[in-house]
Amino acid sequence: MSMGQLLEHYVLLASVIFTIGAVGFLVRSNVLVQLMSIELMLNAVNLALVAYNRVHTDNMGGQMFAFFIIAVAAAEVAVGLAIVLSLHRLRATVLSDEADSLRH
Amino acid sequence: MQTLEAIFPARDCFLLVAIILLPLFGAFVNGVFGKRLGKEAVTLMALAAIGASFLGSVAAFAMLHAKQTGEEAARLVWTGWEWLSLSQSGELNALGQGAALVPIKIDIAFSVDALSGTMALIVTGIGFLIHLYSVKYMADEPSYHRFFAYLNLFIFSMLVLILGDSLPVLFVGWEGVGLCSYLLIGFWFSDKANAAAGKKAFITNRIGDFGLLVAMALLIRYTGSLSWSGIAAHGQDLLRPITVWQVPGLEGKPGFLGAIGAPVQVTAATLVGLSLFLGCAGKSAQIPLYVWLPDAMAGPTPVSALIHAATMVTAGVYLVCRTAPIFVLSPAAMFTVACAGAATALLAATIALVQNDIKKVLAYSTVSQLGYMFVGVGVGAFTAGFYHVITHAFFKACLFLGAGSVIHAMHARIHDNEASQDVRNMGGLRAHLPITHATFLASCLAIAGFPLTSGYFSKDEILHNALTSSVRPPTDDGTAYGLTLFVWPAWGGKLLLTAGLLAAVMTAFYMFRLYFLTFHGEFRGWKIVAHWKEPEGAHDAHGHDAHGHDAHGHGTPLEGPTPHESPWEMYLPLVVLGVLALVGGVFMGPLEKWLEPVFSAARKSVEVSEHGGGIVQPLAVVAALGGIVAAGWVYYQQGGAPAKKLAEQMPGLHKLLYDKWRVDEFYEEFFIGTVDFIADVFVWIDKWVVDGIVARFTSWLVAVSGHLLRLMQTGRIQAYSAVMMVGMAWLGWFFTMPQAKAHVERDDASGHYTVIAAPGLGYAYRWDADADGKPDSSDFSEKKSVELSLGLGDSKQVLLEVKNAFGRVGHQTITLTRPKPEEPKHAAIEPSARKVAGREVAR
Repeated sequence: MSMGQLLEHYVLLASVIFTIGAVGFLVRSNVLVQLMSIELMLNAVNLALVAYNRVHTDNMGGQMFAFFIIAVAAAEVAVGLAIVLSLHRLRATVLSDEADSLRH
Repeated sequence: MQTLEAIFPARDCFLLVAIILLPLFGAFVNGVFGKRLGKEAVTLMALAAIGASFLGSVAAFAMLHAKQTGEEAARLVWTGWEWLSLSQSGELNALGQGAALVPIKIDIAFSVDALSGTMALIVTGIGFLIHLYSVKYMADEPSYHRFFAYLNLFIFSMLVLILGDSLPVLFVGWEGVGLCSYLLIGFWFSDKANAAAGKKAFITNRIGDFGLLVAMALLIRYTGSLSWSGIAAHGQDLLRPITVWQVPGLEGKPGFLGAIGAPVQVTAATLVGLSLFLGCAGKSAQIPLYVWLPDAMAGPTPVSALIHAATMVTAGVYLVCRTAPIFVLSPAAMFTVACAGAATALLAATIALVQNDIKKVLAYSTVSQLGYMFVGVGVGAFTAGFYHVITHAFFKACLFLGAGSVIHAMHARIHDNEASQDVRNMGGLRAHLPITHATFLASCLAIAGFPLTSGYFSKDEILHNALTSSVRPPTDDGTAYGLTLFVWPAWGGKLLLTAGLLAAVMTAFYMFRLYFLTFHGEFRGWKIVAHWKEPEGAHDAHGHDAHGHDAHGHGTPLEGPTPHESPWEMYLPLVVLGVLALVGGVFMGPLEKWLEPVFSAARKSVEVSEHGGGIVQPLAVVAALGGIVAAGWVYYQQGGAPAKKLAEQMPGLHKLLYDKWRVDEFYEEFFIGTVDFIADVFVWIDKWVVDGIVARFTSWLVAVSGHLLRLMQTGRIQAYSAVMMVGMAWLGWFFTMPQAKAHVERDDASGHYTVIAAPGLGYAYRWDADADGKPDSSDFSEKKSVELSLGLGDSKQVLLEVKNAFGRVGHQTITLTRPKPEEPKHAAIEPSARKVAGREVAR
């Protein structure tokens, strides 16, 4: 199996994971599930970056970006969970449909 | 005299400024500080200002008199500063300076000559007497200081009007007196009728002022000057024709349409003269703008005497005299002036015959006498017309002040303004007001033209000239620039004389009707009880309290004190003016000689026939005596019975005269109605077009789009992120496409063009510049631009292909056209095939 074929598999997998994450984010209204979907999308991107880095071995940019994204995702989850907690305290719900006080 | 001339040299005569500014100073002090100063100080300030101004006028008059020796008209001039500087193309005016811009300077300058010197003397002299009279007449007025501030401001404006050396400076004074007239008519503005009368005067005058403005514009256009000397010097340019009416396309057609469409041409002089006369008709209450003056009697009586009888309303006559050099250039304008004057004299006299309000009778008499003056100046007898201004100022001021004295006496028991001015409530006042009676009689004799009184001389002079004088066309052959000029008709003199004589009979009749009704017979105001005392708290202020206890009918007898003569401050002016009204005839000869140099140029165009004038004098005497005797018989001998009988026999005519020919109603219906109709149309447009379409429809559109856009704001995070994803997907697609774009650097003159492709990351380019349908090279390269040259009028197509890093190719066709020199249109990029098509190529 050549490197190119291997890369195609990785990119295909990353696309599938990203699509699952995107669709999950759009169709589920539970905020916790939405957060998990975001994580899926971020990790799909990470996977693609690292896979490309395997092909272009002279450049470590892909791996570097993957680390950055992991760090940012950790921070994002921390903030996101805090928001979910606040929402639950305020409205006694974890459904994003009901967090619509700006509209009404 | 030498001392005066040493202090005030003729070329830089500061005396004029002092004469003008003193009343302004008085107005300022009284207007700003008057309330705190108290009545004594206000009186002192006002009288001192106008008195000093009068002394200054006397000094100026004396200097002029010493200077004017021979035929030459003497002038004292003061030039202040340059006020306006207009420039116009020399082509426009008739001076022939070519296309260069000609500056027209308008200075703040004042000058005094024989005419304006005399007028200033009248204004300040009678002004002083009326100020003195007002001290007592207005003594109980709470706004005493305001009254004197206005009065002083009026004198200031009037002096600017008289002494201004150019039409714009005169116009400042002209508007100033209009303003003061408005302020003083509406002096008791809390009464709505008074405020309405003030507005009426102001608006009517604005119509006249429009004429004055048009005249100024025409004078600038045709003479290039607005100062008196400049206008006179370039007078001949005013003979050029102006087309005032023409319907393009209709002229030359046969019949009715051709007659309508035919061009109508008049000389500039005629148009200027008629425009000026419109201004004069507004200020001097002539047909068709006379309607404001009778209503102006709503103001205090001294104001009626000063402004609406003696001075301001004669400004129109003064202006015609001042601009005599223009008027004599146009016999048509002069004839119009004379005829309008005669018609006004007749119309106003008929109305005055039946009025019962003492001030209304005097008001219509003023309108009528002003008509006389315009007859005088209209036939070219400027001195006669101006002389009537002077004598009229004497006797009409005296009559109004006398009426004020009577009203003052009536106010002892009747506090209603209307009832206290009604002659039906007077009668027999001769015994109670002996001085007022004597002066009133003297003035009545003068205005009726009783032999040897002042009015006799001035009226006789006007009537004599009306018959014998006429205005010649200004050119010998009666044409100017191919335009046949108006020729004064032969019957004109007879017509004017007839109208004048009829008006004279009526004047004598209604003045003596007024005199007999007021001063003779039984007193009809109230039952006179000696030592009658006012009941406690029956009325508060002297004058304008509620009408409660005044609502007495003519049947219920009212008790009251003996009517009393006025204090000396009031009867002194009466005596002075009454004496002047009697003996004013002595000024006739000197005045004619004095004014001769001023009018000598204008008089050259006036033709005076030597014979036929002898009949006028006896006729005038018969008219005056006939009117007086008739009035005496009707109202003294028979106690008014024949008049009542006549009125009952012809109720329609009597009603028509009493309603002033219903001219006011006609104006109301026709002019105000038209304006109202136009206003209604615009209200409709405002309501349905502006409010409906512009405002409401727009706001509805915004509201609807707001509603629609709000539907998109669901508040659901998924909806927003879905939109975001669609957008991101489109962006991704866009960036993977090659963007084939180019711009052209053009050089139309040499025909060299450079087509430069837009840059992009990882882009490679391939060109087809030779239009053979195949690319110039098989490979894509970094070559970002091609150069090519075109012949005149040639056109060429260039194909650009762009390949990006993903191997996709986009292309665009650019059409270049080099324009021909005679049609310098911009050849634009015409991207006939701007469609960017992507296609996959092999990697």
